[in-house]
Amino acid sequence: MTTAGGSPRSALLPWRGMRITVITELTQPVRYVTQLTMIVTQLALTYWLWRALYAGVKVSAGLDVTQATSYALLGVLYVQLRFVDRWSNGDTMVQLMFEGTIAYWFVRPVSPRRWYLIRMCGDLGYGVAWGLGAYLACRAAGAIAGPPSLAAGGAALLTLALGLVITYYLQVIVDLMCFWSTVNDNAVVAVQFASTLLSGAFAPLWFFPGWFQRANDFLPFQSTLNTPLSLYVGRLPVSALPGQLAVQAGWGAGLGLFTWWLWRRAAARVTVLGG
Amino acid sequence: MPAGTIVAEGLTKVFHTVARPPGVGAALKSLVRPERVPKVAVDGVSLRVDPGELLALLGPNGAGKSTTIKMLCGILTPTGGRVEVNGITPHQDRIANARQIGAVFGQRSQLWRDLTARQSLEVLRDMYGLRPADYRMRIREFNRILELEEFWDGRARQLSLGQRVRCDLAAALLHDPPVVFLDEPTIGMDVVVKEQVREFLRDQVRQRGRTVLLTTHDMTEVAKLAERVALIDHGRVVYDGKTAGLRDLAGVTWEAHVTVETVPAVIDVPGLRLTRSDGPRLSFAPVEGGDLTPRHAVRRLIEYLPVTDIRVQEPDLEDVVRQAFRR
Repeated sequence: MTTAGGSPRSALLPWRGMRITVITELTQPVRYVTQLTMIVTQLALTYWLWRALYAGVKVSAGLDVTQATSYALLGVLYVQLRFVDRWSNGDTMVQLMFEGTIAYWFVRPVSPRRWYLIRMCGDLGYGVAWGLGAYLACRAAGAIAGPPSLAAGGAALLTLALGLVITYYLQVIVDLMCFWSTVNDNAVVAVQFASTLLSGAFAPLWFFPGWFQRANDFLPFQSTLNTPLSLYVGRLPVSALPGQLAVQAGWGAGLGLFTWWLWRRAAARVTVLGG
Repeated sequence: MPAGTIVAEGLTKVFHTVARPPGVGAALKSLVRPERVPKVAVDGVSLRVDPGELLALLGPNGAGKSTTIKMLCGILTPTGGRVEVNGITPHQDRIANARQIGAVFGQRSQLWRDLTARQSLEVLRDMYGLRPADYRMRIREFNRILELEEFWDGRARQLSLGQRVRCDLAAALLHDPPVVFLDEPTIGMDVVVKEQVREFLRDQVRQRGRTVLLTTHDMTEVAKLAERVALIDHGRVVYDGKTAGLRDLAGVTWEAHVTVETVPAVIDVPGLRLTRSDGPRLSFAPVEGGDLTPRHAVRRLIEYLPVTDIRVQEPDLEDVVRQAFRR
């Protein structure tokens, strides 16, 4: 008789779990064909809308037609590619919780927090690949202008990275809500709408009333998208970068601590499978 | 504590639910000041499973079996008591615990729906850091009984229940854990696949020396796999011992059915009581507190009665458990 549990192990490679998203998406042509169709349609409509809006105006809200169109198109790319739709795969947190399969997250040698991050990185990597392709296509077609300078491009990229960190933490909060209530669909929809509107993805935030922008200063959403896009199109000067980075770092650290606490609470109160 | 040992002492779990009274006013009041109602799911469960042992945890729905197994797995944090699996307190060190245990939870699959079963197993291989040679060896071993290769290139969502559970068993044992928790693994399966799974479990316990804690409602499974059972009811262990000993607890015992040439005017067989009489067909059971074995009973019946035919019937385990819970 041999004894169980005696095998030597090599290094853990949980990060390879990132490929789950890519395999899932690429083995279902209907998913990426639909995604492609939606992106192309939305990009085209947005382009024509903003060109039409600027037909009789040279500058509005501090943005010219090229800046406004580029901002709006990049916003479309961001929304389309920010998260992969996991609902149809039964792979959202709320579905895992509802079906009880979340239990497996707690009997694996990777913490649920780390596994969640790995899966989200997989989603992001897949989204970025699409986004980059769409961005280059838009640049080649002349729909999106390049940044005014290399420094502006670098600043936009840096703030975009931090913005994604903030977006990630906001998504963690929404997903972890299902540890307290599995009927959080409305909350998910509300938060997604708020984050899309308040980040500037629907329309550049510069067009919103002053009170709206001031109120938005107290929320994390505009740091996710408005900041990098404003730097990219030159609406914010590169000299504003340190201040913007400080705001983003503040939100990132605060939300990071909060989600760390939230994971601990969630892990302590997981009640699944009828027990 | 040697690897493969499960110890629970006074394990308790109390859930708190919010009482939802009927009516809009009461619902609003509940929103502002919710009334939390405690529910004791597991009430001081103590048990020990030694390395290489298979223990079947039995009980009606809602008895606390699944909650107990989830505390032993480290998924749930106990409200009270002590639990150690492989010398680790599972809920306090989930990562270390996870390397030492495998788990299958009934019809809940850990395979990714849109990945093939093989791809899911490869993700788990990477997660547990298995060396390619070990992985291949283990898959070969599982494949011998579970016949995974026949269907593992199909997406998990397209697999039948039996195929999925076989993959889940392989997934749970891929990292060679000394302890395995199986929460109703064969629920809903057909007889052929059930037998395949049982053979696999027998092999894993006898050949690989794994400790298995199994919950099931399938008494055939218990009779075929477990030498020891623990009965749990209302969160408490009401019996922990040999499967055969359950009969004493339940008060259900064997019966001897005889056919006699002529029915005597007085039927008096020492150590036996007449339970049924239908013409020449008589049924006997041992008297309460008696220690007559079926073999001795046969001898005695032949000695005292003009027997032409005799048959001893052992009680079905399902009847025994049912009777035990009635008591």
